[in-house]
Amino acid sequence: MKFLQVTNLTKRYGNLTALSDVSFSIRDGEVLGLIGPNGSGKTTLFECLGGVLPADGGVLLGGDRPLTPAERIATIFYLPDAITPWPTQTVTWALDFAIGFFGGRAAIRDDVVLRLGLGPLLDSTIATLSKGQRKRALLAIGLLMPQPVLMADEPFEGLDLRQTREVAQALRAFADAGRTLVLSIHQIGDAARVCDRFVLLSGGRTCGEGTRDELAALAAARGARSSDLEDIFLALT
Amino acid sequence: MRSHRSAFRWLVSKEWRELVSSRAWWVLLLAMGPLVGVSFISAVRVYGEASGLNGTSAGVGEAFSPLIGIWAPTFSACELAAAFLLPFVGIRLVSGDKQSGALKMELQHPMPAFARIGAKALVLFAGWLVAFSAPLAAILLWRSYGGSVYPPEVATVAMGHLLNAGLTIALAAATASLTEHPSTAAILTLSVTVGTWIINFIAAVNGGVWERAAGYTPTAMVAEFQHGLVRLDVTLVALALIAAGLTLSAIWIRLGVTIHRRVYESVAVAAIAAAAIFACAFVNTSWDTSESRANSFAESDETALRQIRLPLQIEAHLAPEDPRRFDLEHRAIGKLRRVMPKVQVNYVSATSIGLFEQTSAHYGEIWYELGDRKTMSRMTTAEGVLEAIYSIAGVPVPVEKDDEFRGHPLAVPPKGAATVFYGIWPAAIVAGLFFVRRRRA
Repeated sequence: MKFLQVTNLTKRYGNLTALSDVSFSIRDGEVLGLIGPNGSGKTTLFECLGGVLPADGGVLLGGDRPLTPAERIATIFYLPDAITPWPTQTVTWALDFAIGFFGGRAAIRDDVVLRLGLGPLLDSTIATLSKGQRKRALLAIGLLMPQPVLMADEPFEGLDLRQTREVAQALRAFADAGRTLVLSIHQIGDAARVCDRFVLLSGGRTCGEGTRDELAALAAARGARSSDLEDIFLALT
Repeated sequence: MRSHRSAFRWLVSKEWRELVSSRAWWVLLLAMGPLVGVSFISAVRVYGEASGLNGTSAGVGEAFSPLIGIWAPTFSACELAAAFLLPFVGIRLVSGDKQSGALKMELQHPMPAFARIGAKALVLFAGWLVAFSAPLAAILLWRSYGGSVYPPEVATVAMGHLLNAGLTIALAAATASLTEHPSTAAILTLSVTVGTWIINFIAAVNGGVWERAAGYTPTAMVAEFQHGLVRLDVTLVALALIAAGLTLSAIWIRLGVTIHRRVYESVAVAAIAAAAIFACAFVNTSWDTSESRANSFAESDETALRQIRLPLQIEAHLAPEDPRRFDLEHRAIGKLRRVMPKVQVNYVSATSIGLFEQTSAHYGEIWYELGDRKTMSRMTTAEGVLEAIYSIAGVPVPVEKDDEFRGHPLAVPPKGAATVFYGIWPAAIVAGLFFVRRRRA
């Protein structure tokens, strides 16, 4: 069921068009993968949808009408990549802050900590965490947020293979429990592991949207022979 | 477990934790003790010597007031700290969220931007109050020496420095929000501070409108409070500037709003602030809280002056840098304005220093005009000015009562102050830092 619809989102930095009429839909309870190479506009798209970067055009529809800023804040939480928020505070405090300040999901705190393997890190300050540990802590903060849609920018960045699989399983579990996840991923293999549907982004434009089979059919129509997601992506972008 | 604390309380608590973990704040605290100590020890020594300590002529300090002799120099350390240390603490607290990426997350809470900046300002102010315990320790030491403490005048000096800190915090918050990098914010903040000093300099040379504007710079504002004078216009202007600075910061912290809209809103805030400051400049109310009534004529003179209903016009032929003009303004005109708000003073000079105007026939003349009566005097003392006014107003010179302020001479050395400010204070700050770090670890 269509939950949100992004329509004609455009963002320009001076003469450079970072996003050009980007449109796609987000369905309730799905894991949507936003796939694109570095510089394709994934982070810009997330920042515009998250309300931390003004867009030059386009709307975010909830049902048939555009969401107001307050409705957007209540619907979507954007988890940025490569940040070290509250570096001098402990992981425990950061999780409590997510629950206390944002009115987060206190009921799933222990589950989130367990699934993301944060138990041993709870008393560590965020600045002292490794890249992978920090990513897991940030994902935990994101998962505790009260908004029904979590947009995570590069959720597997900095994680090793084992951690990537564990985090993918955790994200899958929370999606199965009803959480809608939109994940920006530049490693197509990682995306294939966890996502239900995909939006292909290249050069600031949407090149395709759908399940793996739908995209494979689209790619086949353009002459692609393989059903491998990487080949599909290359055929469509 | 879901906490019931409000989001704002969470934010204030978070800002406090960030402040306490910031090295800039600990450096500020560490520096405050010795800064206050140097000023206090030197002030007590001079005060003691003027009061007859170490064989100096006893009685010289009979008219000494702790306000001018002790509190003004002691609290002046706060002015230094507010100009050169506090901005970095403020910039760190505001820019830190931007640099770490926390701001992008926190902005996704529907809290108004002004409340976010308000939380930061509140915590910074609380942090400044902690630093303020250094001059408060000086008050306790002075009391322990047997020195006189007149609470209204000490409170006035403290109020001036708290307002000054508020201005610094608002400025630092605005520059930190406006700029991408903390170092740019620091340069911008210090540029504004230096800019206010330039205004003071130009005012001293050119007088006129500049002199009026210079009256509202932080330096001039603090100076008024240090003399035990609470001017409502100065206080309101400071509050308007603080509100404008924090609002600008709130405008620019909203990353999701277009630059155009933020610029329009900033221009609107600047226009409203300018209008508010212009309106505040017409407020004449003031309170002299000094025990010595340093900013007021004798009560008998004030009673006599209040009987004069006609508007008084004064034309003084004195250049801006002429010391006599300074004397006239501070010893007489300033006091006169408090009793006769409608007095109009016009300074006339062809040069800024007046040195080469001395031979001019009218230079040095002070003309007083009341209704159709006019008189001239060259005296710049309070007594001389009052005499001229009484003569044209036809008001009998009031008999002075013998209730003049006699001062509080105190011939004591600053015993124990060095231990407190150079030993105990730094040790306590370092111990506090270790305690906080250990609790976090």
